[in-house]
Amino acid sequence: MAQRAMWLISHEPGTLLRGTVRFSRRYPTVEKRAKVFNGATYVPIPEDDPFLKALLFELRLLDDDKDFVESRDSCSHINKTSIYGLPVGGEELWPVVAFQKNGMIYACVPLVEQTLSPRPPLISISGISQGFELLFGIQDFLYSGQKNDTELNTKLSQLPDLLLQACPFGTLLDANLQNSLDSINFASVTHPQKQPAWKAGTYKGKPQVSISITEKVKSMQYDKRDVADTWQVDGAVTCKCDLEGIMPNVTISLSLPTNGSPLQDILVHPCVTSLDSAILTSSSIDAMDDSAFSGPYKFPFTPPLESFNLCYYTSQVPVPPILGFYQMKEEEVQLKITVSLKLHESVKNNFEFCEAHIPFYNRGPITHVEYKVSFGQLEVFREKSLLIWIIGQKFPKSMEIGLSGTVTFGAKGHEKQPFDQICIGGTAYLKLHFRILDYTLTGCYADQHSVQVFASGKPKISTNRKLISSDYYIWNSKAPAPVTYGSLLL
Amino acid sequence: MGPPSREAWAQRLSAFRASPSAFMAGPEGEDLGRDLLSDLRSEKLNEQTKVSLLALSLEYPAQLWPDAPAAEAAASSLLDTLVLLPPRPSALRKPLLLAATTALVAGGALGPTSGASLRLLPLLLGLASGRDLGRGFGPASEQRPLQATACECLRELESCQPGLLGGCLGLLRGLLGQEGAVGPVQPLSLLLALALRNTLVIQARAGAGLQGLLVAGSSGTGGSPWTWTLAEEGAAHLQPQAPSWLAAEEGECGLAALEPNPEEARELRAAVAQLLDTSYLLAPVAQAQLLWLLGWALRGLRGQLPVLFKTQLVRLLGTAQLTLLHAVLALKAAFGEALFTAQDEDLLLRRLTAAAQHPAVPPPAHLFYLHCLLHFPENCPLGPTGEEAAPLLLGPQLCRGLLPSLLHDPMALLARLHLLCLLCAEDEEKEEKGQGQSPQLYLEDLLAGLRQRAALDGAPRALATLCFQASYLVAHCLAGQPTVMTALTHGLVQLYRDRPVLAPHFVDLLDQVGPELGEPLRVALQQEVVARPGKDEALRWHLQMLAKVADGDAQSGTLSFLQAAAAHCKDWGLQQALLQVCRALLRAGVRGGLADLLQALAWQLEDPDGRDHARLYYVLLAHLATPKLQVALGPSLVAPALASSLVAENQGFVAALMVQEAPAPIQLSVGPRRAEGPIPVLQLQVEVLEPVYSLELRFRVEGQLYAPLGAVHVPCLCPGRPARPLLLPLQPRRPAPTRLDVRALYTTLTGLTCHAHLPPLPVTFADLFLPFPQPPEGTELGFFEELWDSCLPKGTESRLWCPLGPEGLEALVSRHLEPFVMVAQPPSSYHIAIRLPPDSRLLLRLEAAQADGVPVALRTDDWAVLPLAGDYLRGLSAAA
Repeated sequence: MAQRAMWLISHEPGTLLRGTVRFSRRYPTVEKRAKVFNGATYVPIPEDDPFLKALLFELRLLDDDKDFVESRDSCSHINKTSIYGLPVGGEELWPVVAFQKNGMIYACVPLVEQTLSPRPPLISISGISQGFELLFGIQDFLYSGQKNDTELNTKLSQLPDLLLQACPFGTLLDANLQNSLDSINFASVTHPQKQPAWKAGTYKGKPQVSISITEKVKSMQYDKRDVADTWQVDGAVTCKCDLEGIMPNVTISLSLPTNGSPLQDILVHPCVTSLDSAILTSSSIDAMDDSAFSGPYKFPFTPPLESFNLCYYTSQVPVPPILGFYQMKEEEVQLKITVSLKLHESVKNNFEFCEAHIPFYNRGPITHVEYKVSFGQLEVFREKSLLIWIIGQKFPKSMEIGLSGTVTFGAKGHEKQPFDQICIGGTAYLKLHFRILDYTLTGCYADQHSVQVFASGKPKISTNRKLISSDYYIWNSKAPAPVTYGSLLL
Repeated sequence: MGPPSREAWAQRLSAFRASPSAFMAGPEGEDLGRDLLSDLRSEKLNEQTKVSLLALSLEYPAQLWPDAPAAEAAASSLLDTLVLLPPRPSALRKPLLLAATTALVAGGALGPTSGASLRLLPLLLGLASGRDLGRGFGPASEQRPLQATACECLRELESCQPGLLGGCLGLLRGLLGQEGAVGPVQPLSLLLALALRNTLVIQARAGAGLQGLLVAGSSGTGGSPWTWTLAEEGAAHLQPQAPSWLAAEEGECGLAALEPNPEEARELRAAVAQLLDTSYLLAPVAQAQLLWLLGWALRGLRGQLPVLFKTQLVRLLGTAQLTLLHAVLALKAAFGEALFTAQDEDLLLRRLTAAAQHPAVPPPAHLFYLHCLLHFPENCPLGPTGEEAAPLLLGPQLCRGLLPSLLHDPMALLARLHLLCLLCAEDEEKEEKGQGQSPQLYLEDLLAGLRQRAALDGAPRALATLCFQASYLVAHCLAGQPTVMTALTHGLVQLYRDRPVLAPHFVDLLDQVGPELGEPLRVALQQEVVARPGKDEALRWHLQMLAKVADGDAQSGTLSFLQAAAAHCKDWGLQQALLQVCRALLRAGVRGGLADLLQALAWQLEDPDGRDHARLYYVLLAHLATPKLQVALGPSLVAPALASSLVAENQGFVAALMVQEAPAPIQLSVGPRRAEGPIPVLQLQVEVLEPVYSLELRFRVEGQLYAPLGAVHVPCLCPGRPARPLLLPLQPRRPAPTRLDVRALYTTLTGLTCHAHLPPLPVTFADLFLPFPQPPEGTELGFFEELWDSCLPKGTESRLWCPLGPEGLEALVSRHLEPFVMVAQPPSSYHIAIRLPPDSRLLLRLEAAQADGVPVALRTDDWAVLPLAGDYLRGLSAAA
């Protein structure tokens, strides 16, 4: 259970190599074991340059795809996980865990403690999940709170020291690199009591606990007879506990109002010490009924120093917050569009913002728009072929608003607009972006009085909630739209 | 040269990192390791630079110190540097410990005879146990981090030398269990777990018990806590810390041999419980490691040990941590029903299913969870192990959220599509339920969507690739379902109709899929293509497609398509594509109409290369039987296929038509002389080592002594079957011996045409001898005398002594000169007349033979012949 090597590569399209190795680390003692375990199937770790080339090719980041290339485009060359075999020096380096995020490619090669031929199933290789955690950990570290390239470079320059702490011999000790950074800084403190490895030091200061619940709602609305609309809520509860003592115990309870929607698929932070079986088993897979567990959801835990996600959940609310339809028809040279949106009466009508984005893909720039809105205002981004309907902070009393109009397009330029593979012909959507503060769709809240803290001093407890939209699509009902299995079964 | 400055080192290190191999091969490579060690003690370099030097040695010890003695020396030097550090806080202690450990392990120097090892180990153990090592080991503030580092170093040593710490188990347990000011829990726990696991495995293999190893203090009595003997045992078969589940099931890791006595069992239980109880204090990834180690250590041990894990499971199942869920799966695989009841298994599956689609889990982890679902270690697996299958409990209801849609990225779509296919396969096995949407219909809609996207003009190739990958996956999983295959075939043909430019993808798909999809798709595509007018702008793709799918069926349609297309094949590429189709038809055994087409192409095509090819195909068609044609045009078995389809397609053909240079399987020799007829004829004996067809022997005479020789043809030769002698008529321009250069051209059994150079054949002077026509009875002597006289004055006369062997003159004449004797008075006198083509003669009188020789009077009308004749006669007796 160890990593043989790891790389961070920035993807730079348009440059000669199309990428640069920003960081790499090899573990020779693990390599020594790999040689013994893999025997005749052992393939050594390549140097950075050949690795970079092989990985970019495998990830289809190297060249344009004008021609059919069998080693890349063959129908039997199927990858179903982020784990690859890379051709290096006439042999195949496997398994290479790699994924791309924010223009950075994260890669590592876990040790496989047996022969590689035949390839063992990934599930039986302990280093695979460890490799993922290492890369996720680095990704979190690099991008948490990072705003610009300078900060990224600073963080990259800290990596060698951090990995000396978190992964000195290729075996990952802690995926939370921020914690490793803290433990370097806290090094001088001595501890009379057993200290969790995930908590580098102790907090000194005014005790306070803050809890914030963020719910995201996504939806697919079709306005069609044979396709059911879908919507889903997923929530995250983030805590920051500034409490004195090495192992303060805290219990947070999440509650629902009487008509609230039960929380499901609850995943908790590893610092949660025990879980009610009702929490563990409430699942979105089961059909909903009145007997479903509806809280309170108790989470006893010992908090780490930093801010952390206490739990995640999903929920199926009875109605989508905003129900709408979108009709788009091609009439000679122009598109005729009609949009109607209706806020559900149970939803708090007080938005931080609410906008409907209406993009037109695979067409030229907008040359002319004629429109009528019953509420709010419309902004036209001609070059981006995009309309943004700014609805504002509140829906009108009727809760229902409409937009109709015609849009004309110019000739299609080639480079400006990327090809969209979904919105072809009449297939089109509008996407809602909104945020409502101090509100959750499930009704879920953390009652200040229900937070129990077993530590010295009475902490100040603050809570906040918000609902934001994510992937909230309303599809053109006059053309085919991509459907999911769920919307067909219902 | 003084010590390099900070900047110089920075440059040197970055040059090294850019390409270690190139740097080490360069002029600076040799000194790098030495300089690095000495500069670590330099007072001119700051700590930061020294840390970067140590970082390099942590990554590339094998390059810096390539052999065991160098590694040993380096580790010693690093330890010296460590000891010499002033007793103030320093960032170097930790990396120095790590570097010394790495150097010893990577260099293969770790062992009981290594001085550095014997210095490092007590140092590490002292640090790990929190002992005061004196001023040299820095201020108190560094003790705790160094304690953790020492544990990590020991763990790495134990990993690479399993069993090394077998004697320290009691000590480690004691450290972990201490109350009050204690060591860091995580490093000690992980170290103890690894040492415990290794000891269990090694002792079980040796058939020994735990021998009180777990009890604190028991090890101290023996003096050294290092168990090199155990380590040697372990090193012989470095133990996987988490062996493959499948391998383990075959009894590889069985610990059943270890039967601890009640006392030992109690201690073991206590040790495991101790580790698990504090596991909550470990970072999640470290918890996962602990579980893997303990799970596989205790697997197969008798007693109630798996139950110890139960208390941890609920907590673990609640998290979204990839490593923790993975570790739970490992426990599941290790213990099965002993730890997971059917209900537990169901719960685990549900958690896994939820994690595989949970919005809070990153996409790469989703895909890994999906993989885990398809390899789920079931309590009662039904199918064969090792194959991907949906677990029994994972029904369509559970999978609902895991099914693919067009909105997924390619990898997620393919992974989910695979699951959908498995569901469809199950669905087929059960009865059609008729309620709701069947997975199969959904699958067909999805494939249709993918094809629609791929069909778009200007769509990126990745979309087409995805569509064909999906089709391949479906064909692979659902080959047995005719309805799915039929729908897929129709859909793909429609896709080709919409976008013929995807022809290479179709060719690739046809190459990869089995006959269930391949055959109907091939037929349908052929019909699709030939139904087109031959002047389509996508003609190039149609021809490429047809070259793949054309066969003997529907040949009239194909031929008329080609005829129509020929008029539009203006450039070389198109003509070649057209000829590729002809070639495919040739191979398929199409003859009648194809001959007409090829003939037409042979004069109609504009490009001379195209015309040549057409002519060649026509010649092949006209002259070779179908099986031979197939071999000639078939893909080469020898040459590896190239990536380019054009080249690859040509390759077999080229190999078949090109002449291959080969060692000759043919032996040629000159047989007995014939000495008859108007010109000399060589009688050749030929033998072959393997069957040879269409043999053509070509001869060339060195110099211009003879007229050019014609080739000799033999249709077929087989080894062991006597061949008739081959007759090679010679047309000398002068009566002189020579050597014939011989080349053979033939076809092998596999249809390849080969060329071989045979050893040269000698043509001797005597091979040219021809007799004069026999004069009428009684006039021989007169005829001879007439010849004799006619030689002079133009010619010459000579006399020489021809030595005779014991057999005498009579035998010599009858053996060598019989056909040429004109007048004979045996045994002592012979008159011999020899005609030498083109128009010379040689006359011999052998008279009054004595016991050891005979005087020979010799006349010829050609001066040049005289020395040849002399050599010949003198050689006769030797030849006898």
